[in-house]
Amino acid sequence: MLKIDQLVASYGKVRVLHGITLQVKKGALVALIGSNGAGKTTTLRAISGMLRPQSGSVQLGDAEIAGKPAYEIARRGLAHSPEGRRVFPTLPVRDNLELGAYPRLTGARTKGDVAADIERMYELFPRLRERRGQLAGTLSGGEQQMLAMARALMLSPEVLLLDEPSMGLSPKLVEEVFATIARLKAAGITMLLVEQFAAAALEVADFAYVLENGKIALSGEAAKMRDDPAVRAAYLGGGH
Amino acid sequence: MQIFLQLVVSGISVGMIYGVIAFGYQLTFATSKTLNFGQGEALMTGALVGLTTINFLIGNHFGVSVAFILMIPVVLLFGACQGSVVEWLGVRQAIKTKSEAGWIMATIALGIIFKNLAENIWGRDALKFPSPLPEASLDIGGIRIQPMEVAIVIGALLMMLAVEVFNRTSIYGKAVVATSNDRDAAQLMGINTGRVITFSYALSSMTAALAGVLVAPVTLTGASMGAVLGLKAFAVAIIGGLSSGLGVVVGGLILGIVETLTGFYVSTGYKDVPGLVLLLIVLSVKPSGLFGKSAIKKV
Repeated sequence: MLKIDQLVASYGKVRVLHGITLQVKKGALVALIGSNGAGKTTTLRAISGMLRPQSGSVQLGDAEIAGKPAYEIARRGLAHSPEGRRVFPTLPVRDNLELGAYPRLTGARTKGDVAADIERMYELFPRLRERRGQLAGTLSGGEQQMLAMARALMLSPEVLLLDEPSMGLSPKLVEEVFATIARLKAAGITMLLVEQFAAAALEVADFAYVLENGKIALSGEAAKMRDDPAVRAAYLGGGH
Repeated sequence: MQIFLQLVVSGISVGMIYGVIAFGYQLTFATSKTLNFGQGEALMTGALVGLTTINFLIGNHFGVSVAFILMIPVVLLFGACQGSVVEWLGVRQAIKTKSEAGWIMATIALGIIFKNLAENIWGRDALKFPSPLPEASLDIGGIRIQPMEVAIVIGALLMMLAVEVFNRTSIYGKAVVATSNDRDAAQLMGINTGRVITFSYALSSMTAALAGVLVAPVTLTGASMGAVLGLKAFAVAIIGGLSSGLGVVVGGLILGIVETLTGFYVSTGYKDVPGLVLLLIVLSVKPSGLFGKSAIKKV
């Protein structure tokens, strides 16, 4: 579904990604883990068009999307729940969700039943239903994270990119977020997940890539990686 | 007291015009963090295109009131086109290259060009604009009000209300607000933010053009009518805050009223001073404007 080949990207003159190659099969949940500054967020940004890659290929389905503007990539069905949540603070929760479906509401994507999908989001995240009339800027961090994920899902995406959905959340909420991710996977949604909690990510993922200094250092089935003593020592903090 | 109230009432209609133009500054600032410094010229060209249109219609045996109403869509369309041109020529490239000041010079330059064009097409003299409403003042409790002054207030409020309703209820309006909130995140929703910015420029010049034909029957119209209005409305936008719709209405009214009061009680020669003094005070005490939210840059 998503195929990235030799992706190179820079911030100004500093090269951050040195040729990333990875794949996300339809219906799979793939985790991208690695230490801070390894280039995880940058990889997602270069895929979704927030950052223009310098070279390499990004294929969504059969279409080449590398270098296209972010809005066009979104219209083709790639949803990106970005680092820092980036909800629209002066708009109510409900409008944030509606904007997630913007391409569907404006004819750029198959419309389907947007109202029913909003209802589905409220079922998936009951807190959002309680808060639906409230401005997104007044939500707690955890609620904003749920909103960011729900907003991305409103696209009815082919692929969903999730950037650190656990960031800044209490342990209990982190658990809740991972439970939600597992539920989305069960519903057949194709996902690429960037996480700092590598252990938890490997718990839910099918496949994982380890990023190190802008390069893929390791890849393999998540279950195998979880049990690999070398991986545990280097990325899972030994413990769990 | 009678005189004082009379002055306040006159100040309100002038103030609403300032408010509408300042509202136009806000529209583009919200989406793009840039302004059209030729906003006054957008008002002026709108008024003059309106003048030619209404005279053409009157020449074809339409009544003045009907001609005025038929003219409004023409003026709105012209304003939208003019604003799009300003964005395309003056602003788009500056935004793309993240230029700090390029758009300032470019929009000022375009304003001067529009003024020059207008001088060559319509001449340098002030022209009389046909009034769609009776010019005789109404007498309400001893206070004289021109019907057109009432029309200015109603027209200005309706225009702002229409934009507000559009932003709150339609998906395209919500896309405009989303772009104002966070341009990158808006792109991730599939919103073509470049087009949203062009649209906000079109809408901004449209409001200015409408303000132009509302004020023209009361004042006079001519190539030089825009410069001072544009500058004062800029002061209003700063006083009221570049992020608050309510702020510009209140700011406009304050400036309009203070001006007419000063004109009468001090001297018409000092009419422009209090507004600018107010601007300086606001800038030094509350730089984000009376109603603005202070911009705290998060790192």
